[in-house]
Amino acid sequence: MGGRERAGLLFTAPWLLTFAAFGLFPVLFSLGLSVSRFNPTHPDAARWVGLANYRELLTDGTFWQSVGNTLFFAVGTIPFTTAIALAMALLVHARPPASGFFRTALFVPTVVSLVVVSLVFRYIYAPTGMLNAILSRVGVEGRAWLQEPDLALPAIMAMDVWAAVGYYMILMLAGLKAIPREVYDSAEVDGAGWWTRLVHITIPCLRPILLFVIVINTIRSLQVFVEIVVMTQGGPLNRTLTVVYYLYETAFYKLRMGYGSAVAYALFAVLFLVTLVQLRLLRFGRAVGD
Amino acid sequence: MKRTLVLLALVFFVLTTLVPLVWMVSMSVRGEAVLIRGLGDLIPSEPTLEHYRAVWGESAFARFFFNSALVAGLVVGGNLVFASMVAYGCARLRMRGSRVLMATVLGMLMIPKQVTMVPLYVLMSWLHLIDTYGALTLPFMVDALNVFLVYQFLQTVPPDLEDAARIDGAGEAVVFFRIVMPLIKPVLAVVGINTFLVNWNSFLYPFILTASEEMRTVPVGLALYAQGQYSIDWGSLMAGSVLSVVPVLVVFFLFQRQIVSGLTAGAIRG
Repeated sequence: MGGRERAGLLFTAPWLLTFAAFGLFPVLFSLGLSVSRFNPTHPDAARWVGLANYRELLTDGTFWQSVGNTLFFAVGTIPFTTAIALAMALLVHARPPASGFFRTALFVPTVVSLVVVSLVFRYIYAPTGMLNAILSRVGVEGRAWLQEPDLALPAIMAMDVWAAVGYYMILMLAGLKAIPREVYDSAEVDGAGWWTRLVHITIPCLRPILLFVIVINTIRSLQVFVEIVVMTQGGPLNRTLTVVYYLYETAFYKLRMGYGSAVAYALFAVLFLVTLVQLRLLRFGRAVGD
Repeated sequence: MKRTLVLLALVFFVLTTLVPLVWMVSMSVRGEAVLIRGLGDLIPSEPTLEHYRAVWGESAFARFFFNSALVAGLVVGGNLVFASMVAYGCARLRMRGSRVLMATVLGMLMIPKQVTMVPLYVLMSWLHLIDTYGALTLPFMVDALNVFLVYQFLQTVPPDLEDAARIDGAGEAVVFFRIVMPLIKPVLAVVGINTFLVNWNSFLYPFILTASEEMRTVPVGLALYAQGQYSIDWGSLMAGSVLSVVPVLVVFFLFQRQIVSGLTAGAIRG
């Protein structure tokens, strides 16, 4: 072993050991837990149960309700987030006066913590909050946005769109900048209008970025958690219970850590599939000239 | 005409973006009596700092702030030193298996934090680290994205300077800290700033890995305050929220370019 190789070991050891303990081990341990019964207050009673946890998942009505809520959340937010982010990116890219200011202002919510965003919106949605105050001015009766079963999840979804668009706008802006000017110049010579250029040039050129944004937004939406903790804790009537909130409740309230890990792995399997799609798209994106 | 439409649309989007944040600030400087009426007008007639005094003075908020600052400092420092050391080791020091290692590190980016929250909790309780600064820092020391970013940046730095220093008799530690670290400053800025933002705002791990009030970070403290109370003192809660956002906004306005490049790279983390 040369001196340089020994130095290499010394340089990598601190991070690698920490990584092995707190990065790699939990992932493997999680798989082990998912085929066990494990209650942290009775560690001696832990035992191997094979695929029983996964079998239970198949017939667990509350779990499937959380899956339904989570899918509803994803399907109901992603089209809006994508469309609004695209609109914002196109507007900023049109280089109006002070476009730098607009870009910065639209991006601000991205750096504010989700806990704070959720607290502010919980107050906005409160019976005496801003939304009802504005509605009463135009003569509409206020609602208990986070307490009514049919309204709670859509209210959280609207907040999610508000909080997320800035980030996707930045990604799309990077994509717009990469489209060569000449493409537009020749279209203008041909007399193509604003709409024609958008549909026939901009969106096709942006396709890799758009697909990419949709996929990472899907991955994020399937993991909704913080909003639920702060705003509704899964209620009313489990109507805002998401998969990750159910995982948290199962593991840390009911102390069923084995079953909770099975929920985690089921979620992971889905996310893994989405990620595989994402990797293919990324490769595609690079080929186009990201 | 077209220009005016673009401007109008942007002004509309900026207003919808900023109104909730303005409402947060507005509610934090309102007196109690005005609060209950909950009017939609955004400018309070008699602004007061009583909620800020209450939050900073009487509650445990100052402690949350101290915890968040200490943890963020440790995590940023740890990531800057250890992530660049491991990236440098893999990129330059003829390590066997460094390619396999980088592939593993990249693979870890795809595993969501939620999958490991249960085993991490069990591991931390075996190590008696629940409710300690160890639990608040160690899981954040191994952000694979940071290693990847430094590794990628090192590919663009020619090794000539390092080799020249070695010929002059410099040891590997001197080469790394004196020659390499200054050369990779741009990527270290991206790593440091984004690690700070992610850590300052992080909720899930601090939430499940702490138990006592003294060990809460700002986001956990705010969230649990809003959960525990029968009637919430919204004025103080909004004041706490504003205070918690200040460090992030300062960093944001100073380093927007690095944040954007970090977020764009961070997209692969999903």
